Amino acid sequence: MRTWQPIDRRFRNARRWAPSACIFVAMSAAVGHGQISKPQMDVTVQRVPAADDTNGVINVQQSDLLQKEATKNWVSYNGNYSGARYSNLTQISPANVGRLTAQWVFHPRVVSPLEVTPIVVAGVMFITSANDAYALDAKSGKVLWHHIRALSEGLVDDPAQHRNRGVAILGTRVYMETDNAHLLCLDARSGHLIWEVPYATGNRNYGATSTPLIVKDKVVVGISGGDAGVRGFLAAFDAETGEEKWRFWTIPGPGEKGNESWPGDSYLHGGGTTWMPGTYDPELNTLYWGTGNPAPDYDGSVRPGDDLYTSCLLALDPDTGKLKWYFQFSPHDLYDYDAVQTPVIVDANFKGQPRKLIVTANRNGFLYIVDRTDGKFLFAKSFMSTQNWAKGIDENGRPISAGLIPDQKGVRVCPANGGATNWYSPTYDSLTHVFYFRSFEACATIQSSPKPFEEGNAYYATGLRNADETGKAYINAFNLDTLDFSWRQLQIGRSKGWGGLMSMAAGLIAYGDDAQNFVILEARSGKPLWHFHVGQLVHASPMSYAIDEKQYVAIAAGSDIFSFALP
Amino acid sequence: MGVPRAELLLVLGAIFFSECALLSARAEESNTGQGAQRFMEYCAGCHGADGRGGDRAPSLVAPSNAAKRSDSELFRIVHDGTKGGMPPFAQIGEANIAAVLQYVRRLVGAEASTGAADVAVTGDAAAGRALYFGKAQCSNCHLMHGKGGFIAGNLTNYGRSRAADVILQEITNPDNPLAPSSQVAIVTTSTGEKITGVLRNEDAFTVALQTEDGRFHLMARGDVTDVHYTERSLMPRDYGKRLTSRELNDIVSFLIAESRSSRPADSAGR
Repeated sequence: MRTWQPIDRRFRNARRWAPSACIFVAMSAAVGHGQISKPQMDVTVQRVPAADDTNGVINVQQSDLLQKEATKNWVSYNGNYSGARYSNLTQISPANVGRLTAQWVFHPRVVSPLEVTPIVVAGVMFITSANDAYALDAKSGKVLWHHIRALSEGLVDDPAQHRNRGVAILGTRVYMETDNAHLLCLDARSGHLIWEVPYATGNRNYGATSTPLIVKDKVVVGISGGDAGVRGFLAAFDAETGEEKWRFWTIPGPGEKGNESWPGDSYLHGGGTTWMPGTYDPELNTLYWGTGNPAPDYDGSVRPGDDLYTSCLLALDPDTGKLKWYFQFSPHDLYDYDAVQTPVIVDANFKGQPRKLIVTANRNGFLYIVDRTDGKFLFAKSFMSTQNWAKGIDENGRPISAGLIPDQKGVRVCPANGGATNWYSPTYDSLTHVFYFRSFEACATIQSSPKPFEEGNAYYATGLRNADETGKAYINAFNLDTLDFSWRQLQIGRSKGWGGLMSMAAGLIAYGDDAQNFVILEARSGKPLWHFHVGQLVHASPMSYAIDEKQYVAIAAGSDIFSFALP
Repeated sequence: MGVPRAELLLVLGAIFFSECALLSARAEESNTGQGAQRFMEYCAGCHGADGRGGDRAPSLVAPSNAAKRSDSELFRIVHDGTKGGMPPFAQIGEANIAAVLQYVRRLVGAEASTGAADVAVTGDAAAGRALYFGKAQCSNCHLMHGKGGFIAGNLTNYGRSRAADVILQEITNPDNPLAPSSQVAIVTTSTGEKITGVLRNEDAFTVALQTEDGRFHLMARGDVTDVHYTERSLMPRDYGKRLTSRELNDIVSFLIAESRSSRPADSAGR
């Protein structure tokens, strides 16, 4: 149940109304002014920015990227730097969401399942589809420009699927990663290429599937290919010139701390890729980024010790790329437990004390809370009903291994290699202190048959596994005040869903379910309030924006972008 | 649903067409102008004005597409259409098909080579650069290797797929034909405001205009009382008078030389 909050804190900006609070306000108004106001049961105080003269003007400032509230503009993959995927717009509410209507559909040229989260600035939507980029009129879905680029050949594993998570935007430029790990800088007003930088060389198995993150004057990019035996890194490029400013290798080289896990030249194939965008705290000037699992998958015999900095949360100085601290979720991972899930920045009370936190649901089946000023472990809780790889988490946040070692025969491990959760986005509601995320309960039989690294082949070949495809998916609501789940909703549908979440200030959660629906739930209870059958499985996470005093919710569903609003 | 993929064009019977001979005979004729016009008329709507593909059809100039087909295969594709969704164009007549294919071959041939090696460059490319960024003001509107304006086309690879005489024509006698999303329009809104810009998109319900400052004006038809179509792009029409033929030749040489010094941005592979 949502806990009651003092009115000054909760309704300071007239953010949202709930029936009980309306009555409270009405009563206090009666007391204060000697008259009775009618309680408002419908949301008519709608917090949508007034129409202004900036429509169509693309020139994103640092202040836009630093926005604490996502209202008319959704300026980056997760809406803003916190990673919370939370829209402060309240025009759409539990009372009226049942009337939500499709506004338009856009079908791009390349139709592999879209993983993009659209960016919207000044009424213009920017998306990617494989290596293409588009600018669309966000009100009508019509194309304003289209940057075309052929798919790359000769890629391996994930990059060979040519997925792309979208653009980053600064000034009059948008930035994107291509499948073969080139960073493109395009003019946001025309789609024309300004410069292009190949940013991953020396290993044919590099590729990219993500979206860059702009931090101050730099474009930060991650890399893919970890299961194919590349050396992971994070790199930053000057947003103006494309010059490389720093590079942090996630696998330490000879002489560097942690290198004892990587004998010989195995560090060149250690994995630890950085294939989802991170988050950024401007006050602490710290960049938070998750790393992938070590390579080779499943075979730990060639990488003794903890395998730093794989399956970690890294805290970096965005100006220099220097490591401030790290927290490792799964030392010496043997089950493909990447840790690239969004490290959501949360300011909340933890056990009664206000703290600066990172909250994240990890692929290994545990939800973690960490102090983001120094990486101190605060809390972990399993969110899998069946979990057998760790006996628990100790007081330092280190898992107590159950000793399941993949071998020729195979061991049954829960969660499965696909993870208790994966890259699909979580969301955090700062008014109710609830963290929402999708989970998947399944086990897998993991075997290991070691093989040497080969360019052009996925390093997966070292480990065979029979993934338990039949599992149960949940949408979970975890309450930071009680440190427990408020509700967990079993998903119904034939497919394994890959739809991430977003939340809206009026108390709504939106996501694509396991049955080709785009769904909106009441955040308080998990009760479904609205859905639209998009007719394809959703492989992306939704976002919200506003133009001319109208709020829209958009989602990439299969090979199309859908946008919805009230009639 | 979905875009016809280039690979589907390969689904062809092994039928030899006598039209193959027809094509080679016509290859000697200099009907590049006509080929370009027919291409714009019949093909550009789906395959793009530069043959690089669009929302509805794949690129013709990518190495794995038209370049890999014989003349008879290409003729068959245009004549009969494909299972992938391309409609048949038999009705335009063999002469037009041949003209279009000759133009496609030129686009493809120039794309595949390291830089139209057979195109003679007779002007001074360095002088052309000075004109491009100076007196001729091309860079006000056009991007070249990341430098210049954005409102008009990116010229970085422009010189790669066109003969010198074609480039000269397109400078001195532009908009023949007018590329679809380049037309300048003057929109009068219901508040009486007149906005002049490039018409990026329109339908019965919306008008999307981009003014030269880059701003998108996204309007509902209900808010628009008049749209005046100028039937021209932003490209000035008086370069033939403003510049000497030597200056024009230098600019053309610059454009061709620049295209040779860059890799095409959309080439496949690493």
